[in-house]
Amino acid sequence: MSASSEPQRVADVAERAVVLPKHLHARPAGQVAQAAARHHATTIELVAGDRRANARSVLAVMALGAVTGSEVRVTVAGSDADEIADEVVQILRSPDSAA
Amino acid sequence: MVGIVLISHSSRLAEGAAELVGQIAGNARVVPAGGTDDGRLGTSTERIASAIAAADTGDGVLLLPDMGSSVLSALSLLADLDPAHDGKQIRLADAPFIEGAVAAAVAASGGLDLATVASAAEEARDVRKL
Repeated sequence: MSASSEPQRVADVAERAVVLPKHLHARPAGQVAQAAARHHATTIELVAGDRRANARSVLAVMALGAVTGSEVRVTVAGSDADEIADEVVQILRSPDSAA
Repeated sequence: MVGIVLISHSSRLAEGAAELVGQIAGNARVVPAGGTDDGRLGTSTERIASAIAAADTGDGVLLLPDMGSSVLSALSLLADLDPAHDGKQIRLADAPFIEGAVAAAVAASGGLDLATVASAAEEARDVRKL
């Protein structure tokens, strides 16, 4: 995260905040973790309240216990961070992905 | 894609676990191997072997046993296989059955390799629910 002091090779970091339209159930947690697996060179972290999860772990994402109306912060570090952050936000915002 | 075989004493438990995993990791290749050939509780190396064949698409297969003789049956099957002969990559995961299956299937459906899928399953030992 401190790589912004390096002008020629700035680490690609993107941050988003999402207010959940539905609980972060097993299915969207799985979709987030599948996205993390597809982009395995990039680190995706979710924060909900005082809990933090690496998106690679579907079980850790479920254990966030993030409920409807709560805010989840998404931090993506690595190549294509913006695109990947948008992809994760799309999953979290999509109400029909909640099972 | 890495295939996953769910080995249980109960065919209904293995099938139900596969159904649940399919809801979370839709396109994963998860094959249940539960119960005995005559429909009783128990494990069958023949059923496990045919589930491995059904799960294998060339990228390897992860076996997830529930407990006890599921583990022993899987181990005896692996001991009988000659990996150099049939070229199959097969690993046995030391992981909780349901959580490990979900974690492994999500990793497999994301295109990760067998070692990473196995690690995903085994990390499930350390993830709390609450």
